[in-house]
Amino acid sequence: MDALYLIKIGEIGLKDGNQSEFVAALKRDIKRRMYGIHSVLESKDSRYYLTVDEEYAEHAELVLSRTPGINGWARARRCEKSMEAIAATGIALMRPKFVAGAKSFKVEARRSDKSFPLQSYDIAREIGGAVFTALSGIRVDVNRPDAVLYVEIREQAYLYTDGDAGVRGLPVGSGGKGLLLLSGGIDSPVAGFRMLSRGLALESLYFHSYPYTSKEAWEKVRDLATVLASFAGGMILHTAPFTDVQLKIKKDAPSDRATLYLRACMMMAADMMARKRQLNCIVTGESLGQVASQTAENMRFTGSYTNYPIMRPLSGTDKEDTVKEARRMGSYETSILPFEDCCVLFSPKHPVLKAKFEQEKAAFDALDFQGIVAASVDSAETLELRYPGPIGLSQIRRR
Amino acid sequence: MDSCYLDWAASAPPYDDILRAHAELSLRLYANPSSSHGPGKAAYAELTQARGSLAGVLQSPPERLFFSSGGSEADAIVLLSTLFDKKRRGIVVSAIEHAAVYEQARLLEGFGLRVNYVKPDKDGIVQPEAVLAALEPDCGLVSIMTVNNETGAVQPVAAIARAVRDALPQRPPLIHSDAVQALGKIPCSMKALGIDAASFSAHKLGGPRGIGALYLKKDIPALARGGGQEGGIRAGTHNTAGAWAFSQAAVRAAADLDDNYKRARMLEKRLLEGIKSIPGALSLPLGRQAGDERFSPYILSVAFPGLGGETLARVLDDQGIAVSTGSACSHGSKERRILDAQGLAPELSFSYLRISTGRGSSVHDIDLFLERAAAAYARYKT
Repeated sequence: MDALYLIKIGEIGLKDGNQSEFVAALKRDIKRRMYGIHSVLESKDSRYYLTVDEEYAEHAELVLSRTPGINGWARARRCEKSMEAIAATGIALMRPKFVAGAKSFKVEARRSDKSFPLQSYDIAREIGGAVFTALSGIRVDVNRPDAVLYVEIREQAYLYTDGDAGVRGLPVGSGGKGLLLLSGGIDSPVAGFRMLSRGLALESLYFHSYPYTSKEAWEKVRDLATVLASFAGGMILHTAPFTDVQLKIKKDAPSDRATLYLRACMMMAADMMARKRQLNCIVTGESLGQVASQTAENMRFTGSYTNYPIMRPLSGTDKEDTVKEARRMGSYETSILPFEDCCVLFSPKHPVLKAKFEQEKAAFDALDFQGIVAASVDSAETLELRYPGPIGLSQIRRR
Repeated sequence: MDSCYLDWAASAPPYDDILRAHAELSLRLYANPSSSHGPGKAAYAELTQARGSLAGVLQSPPERLFFSSGGSEADAIVLLSTLFDKKRRGIVVSAIEHAAVYEQARLLEGFGLRVNYVKPDKDGIVQPEAVLAALEPDCGLVSIMTVNNETGAVQPVAAIARAVRDALPQRPPLIHSDAVQALGKIPCSMKALGIDAASFSAHKLGGPRGIGALYLKKDIPALARGGGQEGGIRAGTHNTAGAWAFSQAAVRAAADLDDNYKRARMLEKRLLEGIKSIPGALSLPLGRQAGDERFSPYILSVAFPGLGGETLARVLDDQGIAVSTGSACSHGSKERRILDAQGLAPELSFSYLRISTGRGSSVHDIDLFLERAAAAYARYKT
């Protein structure tokens, strides 16, 4: 038996001249994520339908739930265009909703096949009556129903109920490709998720400071990248060894500059990696004022070590909202595992808060971090986290 | 790559021949020692013999020894017994107890008992006067460990027992000691210690996992009930082979105690001298000298200021050296209760490592540790 899904798009539908490009990108992305599975993706009357073998329904639902550009989706049922068949299918669809606690409902009908003898209103009224009779105790409420049954009459009859939410936004890759600076914290995965859902394809870069950071800390980052991979349709994670950079900072830099200079070095490394991988922007989880050193002055300083655009989608987001988003996307539980970056010995007690731009640049540049940072980027290891991520994850190590 | 194991206090490598015979015995004496048939009686006989052997080592009457599943359970039996005494609601434990006692005491607080935690002096030793200061007339239990598991500090348990009894002669509290790090390492006579209860574990001295013992001068009520085994103190089918192997390991360790102790003192000296030669590295408590009888030679704490203990342990582990650390990566994210209790500066407790040796440790092990720790410290110190 086939499983049939109705896909709802949101923002793409609002696009004007270039809508077809976005639609094509979304279709490509869905097909890519369904790779190796026989599926049919068709669009009819500005609606999208995905058909897969029942065996792959679970995979299809994962794809639909996690592919940016999809606003929502619903498992639909198809039946012959007779009122008896439609009523029976409608009752079968509504019964689980009723059992799950829906007390009221309405039917919305749409008739694309104008040869069908009943008009939309009459279809809704009759099917509604059949459901009302079958499920004793359910009310009709056309204003604020607990559940809605949709009926569409086309070459066949299609029925579905309120579906599940999608990621929304725009198809991955429609906005270019960037490099996410991924740490083991709460913020950077959320920043990555936000940009993914704005259509940015991503690779991730993690700075590993063994032995100050443990293998478990790296595994945590890999798991976070895996969560992102499930939305991105796969993810490349670069791990750059940063111990020597940290030690040089500790040795050469004033202690109150340690955090600031480390961030500047990371930005320098990100710039090199973006160039090497032909990416177009850098994404960070920075949020203004979240830690004392994340000020506009300091961001100007660190940002001066790249000329790529830096996306900081959380810069104006309250931490509580970030946490909520992390919970929703499924990264929070991993982020709070206790393998924190062991940089406490590197962190100054009183970090510099407002770097004086020219002065700071001169002092930083005099320490000549270029070579040591380049060496780190050159020896970075690359891991490809393949889709679909959490289920059936497979990994390939390569250089 | 050369490797060495310096975490004997966590678990000692077992005596090979005893563990093999233990497995063989498990296959042969499988019958329940409580059963009245022939195989059951045979198992019971073996159990009785094991109890007798262990009693010999501990200088205790055999019938006052009760086998348990390990040290933690033996501690729990004693601590939980205080719940039965409605009149005596006070408990005194040291602030440096192993979690098996410390966490159990905290649990008892939740049941309405009053627990006083006695701090050690700066060397990590709980002084009898400090225990007396914490003692209240309705105290039902005093529990002070024999050898601390992180610093090796040998507690003056006998002196504490005497002082407590003198202070409360009418109704002296039960005096218990977790002696898990003492048995097989330093003389451990129940007679000499003069206490009412003590806990032991087999795997710390080369026996198998899952068997321990509790010495009880007098019966106490047990919270966990069942088939009445071990005089009702510890219900559950007897671990015949485990008890046998425990007693064998204890007898072996007792026979070799003096020789092993001397060698442990020699290794202690080598380690402490080696630590002195690493710029910046320190022994804990500060100024600990080799040969100081107040410390077990088998357990040493060292600090490498400026490098987290966890970080150094990670590097050493990757180089084949197994040591232990109580420290976590960031300050306060994981408590270092024992070192904090003796007032050690956080920078030191943060960078602390425990090196513990045993009967199989060698000069080579110590030298390997020193060489690799020195190199890692020089490379990664911040």
